[in-house]
Amino acid sequence: MTTKGSLSEKQMGYLLIAPALLIILIIAIWPVIRSFWISLHDVRLNDPTKNEIHETYGLDMERYVNTLPNLLRYLDREANTAQGTDKDQLLGMKLQIEQMRDTLGQTGEVAARYQQIDQLLLAFKPVPQELKYVELTEEQTDLMRNTLQEVEKALLTMANQKLLQKPEGAVGVIQGISSALIEPNYVGFAYYKQYLTDGRLWAALSNTLFFTVISVSLELVLGLWIALLINRQFMGRGLIRAAVLVPWAVPTVISALMWKFLYDGQNGIVAFLFEQVGLLDDMGTLLTTKGGAMFSVIFADVWKTTPFMALLLFAGLQTIPQSLYEAAEVDGASKSQQFFRITLPLLKSSILVALLFRTLDAFRVFDLIYALTGGGPANSTETISVYAYKTMFAQMSFGEGSALAIIVFFCVALISIGYIKILGADLIGESRGR
Amino acid sequence: MSMQKKAGPFFYLFLLIFLFVIMFPFLWVLLAALKPPNELFGAHAFQIIIENPTLDNFARVFTERPFGTYLWNSTVVATLTTLYAITIASFAAYAVAWLPFKGKSIVLGMVLAVSMFPQIATISPIFMFMQSMGLTNSYLGLIIPYTTFALPLAIWNLTVFFRKIPIDLGEAAKVDGASIWQTMTRVFFPLAMPGVFTTAILVFIAAWNEFLFALTINTQEAMKTVPVGIVMFQGQYTMPWGEISAASIIVTVPLVILVLVFQRRIVSGLTSGAVKE
Repeated sequence: MTTKGSLSEKQMGYLLIAPALLIILIIAIWPVIRSFWISLHDVRLNDPTKNEIHETYGLDMERYVNTLPNLLRYLDREANTAQGTDKDQLLGMKLQIEQMRDTLGQTGEVAARYQQIDQLLLAFKPVPQELKYVELTEEQTDLMRNTLQEVEKALLTMANQKLLQKPEGAVGVIQGISSALIEPNYVGFAYYKQYLTDGRLWAALSNTLFFTVISVSLELVLGLWIALLINRQFMGRGLIRAAVLVPWAVPTVISALMWKFLYDGQNGIVAFLFEQVGLLDDMGTLLTTKGGAMFSVIFADVWKTTPFMALLLFAGLQTIPQSLYEAAEVDGASKSQQFFRITLPLLKSSILVALLFRTLDAFRVFDLIYALTGGGPANSTETISVYAYKTMFAQMSFGEGSALAIIVFFCVALISIGYIKILGADLIGESRGR
Repeated sequence: MSMQKKAGPFFYLFLLIFLFVIMFPFLWVLLAALKPPNELFGAHAFQIIIENPTLDNFARVFTERPFGTYLWNSTVVATLTTLYAITIASFAAYAVAWLPFKGKSIVLGMVLAVSMFPQIATISPIFMFMQSMGLTNSYLGLIIPYTTFALPLAIWNLTVFFRKIPIDLGEAAKVDGASIWQTMTRVFFPLAMPGVFTTAILVFIAAWNEFLFALTINTQEAMKTVPVGIVMFQGQYTMPWGEISAASIIVTVPLVILVLVFQRRIVSGLTSGAVKE
């Protein structure tokens, strides 16, 4: 049917999925690869010399252009007021710095960029990323580092002998220009090695596993029980269905905050009721003890996701033909035999799919813990995602944090592969439809 | 269908308890939202009867905090994410469900794998990219990363829906001389609308509820979304429970209405991908 100039169905197919695949590749897959790459580097967002990946020695030209004149001006000013040998010493330092500048400028690139950036800065214009960094050879780096160290040492000696007008300025100007010098921050697998023996990581991992196994098991058992119970005719099915959806639809952080209120040590009704029925000696201990906090987190998760689990399993139950039960009834099978011989086997793939998604969600848990306990008390509810978040955004250590994030990714991949091995190709369901 | 079991009084009692357990946190938080500060704490904390009910907490959320701004930000980000993800995903899902080409299971496998990615594993490069492009504290700064979950979710659900549309209709249109484009726009999309709509609801809820990207990328007060805004209500030493409760209720009520109106669709959307038929 293809006419000239129009696309065949096959070509059209590729054309239609191309945008989606391209976007997924760029926005989801590339970042994971990049995360891994970052985890091999000492990237710290609160340190200007390390806030990016640097493969080679280099010079942050913007910083260099900004700070070099300051240093020269400082030395000039001090030399003007100094006398005799001190004056000579200061002028000597200035000469040393100027020589360093000229040697660095010999490569041509540094000198040319210097002019360009100087003009941009004078015009108060931002410096484009591609102009910002210049690669340095190891000799250039050594020259710059040694010169700056010598000058710093000499200045500090003079400051100690009270020979400087503004001794407090010396350290500042030297540090300013030193931070323009960039060293490669590749660390290889150092962070992964470090985490092998990191007690906090193993604690976070075991918290995560404990949370995942306990909450998902409870959700499965309760969800299956509820699904079996409501698998019959009754009035108000719509109401139940809507009610079941509400905890699922509410943002996790909001449900976490609601539970935090209910668990509160002074005013929380749930904590109060637990104390009344003897589950707790003192309602204040619910969120302040290790066991209490873990229980609280699991309880809140079970409340939020059991209804959802029940919904998935209920849908699975409805696909089991009634005739199977009728035949079993005729053959004299008991209710429990029917459950173990018919319901469970036929529900297996529904259960596994529900378990897969719930296990992954539980393993990645972040929102609930962040809002409810913040990982406390004493890191007792800190999961691995929370640990990674804190390393990245509280300590600003992105290299380290990315290593943790990649560990999460690796665990999630292992869990998925495990489930998919059991489920087989059923999940993708090519056999269905076309 | 195993519908022959009839429900007895015990069953309805069980349903009532079940409903109560599910709804209890909402009811208690609603109560707290209506209480004046002196009844929220101390001796009155556990009382069900409010002596002086007040709407102060609801008013304060809007007057003393930029909750209106949060709501607007969340609405904009979730709506744009939904529109963009659904558009791109519709084409992809149409191709996977209706057009013959090789490598479909690879495409679907990849989509499924990406939907399992932990967000934390993508956050560091995305954050650094947004920062270097000056996109932190902007709508685009959230819409772009939201692709990581919105697009796989949309493609997966739409493919399941589209596969249920009888392919014969497409074949018939082709015999009648319709082009692929005409088949898609005239025959296919009208039939696909219910599935598209259901998927849109699911994507919207997911984008509305997202927390980690919103927490890290949009940190300015004027650009925060609802979940981040509410979490940040808490001070270092104080918990304004009245206001948190009121804000929670304000967010929950529209969701409850949405869920009540579209429950059938949502349930079919949630379960169709997971149940073999």
